[in-house]
Amino acid sequence: MSIIQELSHVLPKGIVLTGEEDTRPFECDGLSVYRQKPLAVVLPETIEQIKQVLKICKASNTPVVTRGAGTGLAGGAMPLEKSIVLGLSKLNQVKHIDVDKQLAVVEPGVRNIAISEAVASYGLYYAPDPSSQIACSIGGNVAENSGGVHCLKYGLTVHNVEAVKILTIDGEELILSRSDQGLGLLALMNGSEGLLGVIVEITVKLTKTPNLARVVMAGFDSVRDCANAVADIIKAGVIPAGLEMMDSFAIEAAEGFAQVGYPLDAQALLLCELDGTEAEVRSELDVVLKVLSGASSIKVSDNEQERLDLWKGRKSAFPAVGRLSPDYYCMDGTIPRRHLADMLEKINQLSKKYQLRVANVFHAGDGNLHPLILYDANIEGELERTEEFGTEILKLSVDMGGSITGEHGVGVEKLDAMCHQFNNKELEIFHKIKAVFDPESLLNPGKAVPELHRCAELGAMHVHHGQLPHPELERF
Amino acid sequence: MIDRITQIQDEIKQATTVNINSEWLNYSGVQEYFSEELVITVKASTPIAEICNVLAKNDQVLPFYIEDKNQSIGAAYAIGAEDLSDSVLGVQIIDGTGELLNFGGQVMKNVAGYDVARLLVGSAGKLAAITQISFKVMPKSYVNNLKTSIKTDQHSALRLEIERRLKTVFDPNGIFN
Repeated sequence: MSIIQELSHVLPKGIVLTGEEDTRPFECDGLSVYRQKPLAVVLPETIEQIKQVLKICKASNTPVVTRGAGTGLAGGAMPLEKSIVLGLSKLNQVKHIDVDKQLAVVEPGVRNIAISEAVASYGLYYAPDPSSQIACSIGGNVAENSGGVHCLKYGLTVHNVEAVKILTIDGEELILSRSDQGLGLLALMNGSEGLLGVIVEITVKLTKTPNLARVVMAGFDSVRDCANAVADIIKAGVIPAGLEMMDSFAIEAAEGFAQVGYPLDAQALLLCELDGTEAEVRSELDVVLKVLSGASSIKVSDNEQERLDLWKGRKSAFPAVGRLSPDYYCMDGTIPRRHLADMLEKINQLSKKYQLRVANVFHAGDGNLHPLILYDANIEGELERTEEFGTEILKLSVDMGGSITGEHGVGVEKLDAMCHQFNNKELEIFHKIKAVFDPESLLNPGKAVPELHRCAELGAMHVHHGQLPHPELERF
Repeated sequence: MIDRITQIQDEIKQATTVNINSEWLNYSGVQEYFSEELVITVKASTPIAEICNVLAKNDQVLPFYIEDKNQSIGAAYAIGAEDLSDSVLGVQIIDGTGELLNFGGQVMKNVAGYDVARLLVGSAGKLAAITQISFKVMPKSYVNNLKTSIKTDQHSALRLEIERRLKTVFDPNGIFN
């Protein structure tokens, strides 16, 4: 019996999809340049059904690519030719809300924003807010350790998960919780990109909705002044709920799209959100306005509508840039904040070198950069040039003491860049960790961690943690 | 002069058993501290009190509950003290074969590779020698109501088996007791 026959045999009708029209929508995730149709797509409705799927796949040596909402930006949920896609979107129930303990137990297919909606009447919300939050699922968030705009103050997914229930490739249940003595297996599961287990239930922490939030918008005549202002706000002892920066091209694109009154003459724009009680916001606002006294323009939201309007430009930056170019490529490097201005300068130099325009949108508060490289996939060689440009930015991020990915994950997209951030011994440890959970490498194989020969073939000069081998040698 | 890290690597390479503790490690001090980055990198034998004093100069704190300030930071990491894991950004370790390895880093957001820096929190010195740790720190005014948490060691056979196999990843010859 073929794997498709076996799956169809044990599962109710409508759960196994095999036809061209049914499987085509699953051929890629949010990174649509990489596409591959799977053998079949399986959309189970219960944990028991997932166990059956895993048992059949294990017995027939069939790879399993688990998928949430498919909004990932690194190809982590891209199918493999001989794999099935295990889509968990039908497991979409909020199972339990504990208001006193500020916890909610949810199924993996629940959308990020649906958690906040379900608990809003209790004055609570789920803090991590990736920009895809209206669509992305909590299971995918855990698999990627997703971030968002509010990470500096409220943390990433890993900080907001209390427990997970996973299924191993053998279909065995394993519950991992913050209260476990011993190794940090719960943290390991966050950001494991579907390589270690299938996340089937998540207990998330809920945060009290702040009484008040206000946003300060500051325009600057120079990028460096804006970057310095970011450091100065933190130095002054304020942790904003959100701290976002945009360069002039991004300002222009966002304003053209959203028309919210961004200063078009500014070289850089800072959006600084403060939240808490009225007294807390007032005292933080005093400090921030003092720090931002060198800005060329300042606007503070006076009511909720103004606050949302000021955010609207930033939140629509991606589609706004999409309007200006047939395609764009979104990077996700992270650097220590003190290098922000230098990084922007270097990206501008590279933009000239590769003759490709870049709009820069940053989660400045935590040094997470999202340069958007504009290109046209229909022009021959332009995608390749874009990827080369992107790789240079990621290498720079590592060399400045940062990381190739802050919140999007490695997937298939950043496998080469991984060779730059980790040496062979470290990569070997990653492979061995996978083998502990999945010795036959059936869960999302080939993603997230490059094979050692791939790195060897890249033959790149290895710069590890900012140190070149033989630093005494001159290099050009 | 040979540095302490190389010495530790050599000791591990030659040893058949090692009991890791702060005295044996003998590697203490604040390595780097960037107050405006909210990041401090410390060598593992550093007493927590010393770290707190350095941070206090900028009105910053370690944002997790501390049972005993006389303990070394490496000891707190090894026992998996409270919510310490949430503040860990990166580690430098020496594995059971004497390899010096780095995981995580000094940035708030970093999802490249498995989160080994947090996996090893609570590893009780049985997987690797933790030599250096980077933490996210916070302004004092944002940290309040830190509480001790209750942990349970009632583990399933499956979890124990996974922990056993993870030990062999980092310490294939079983030298760390």
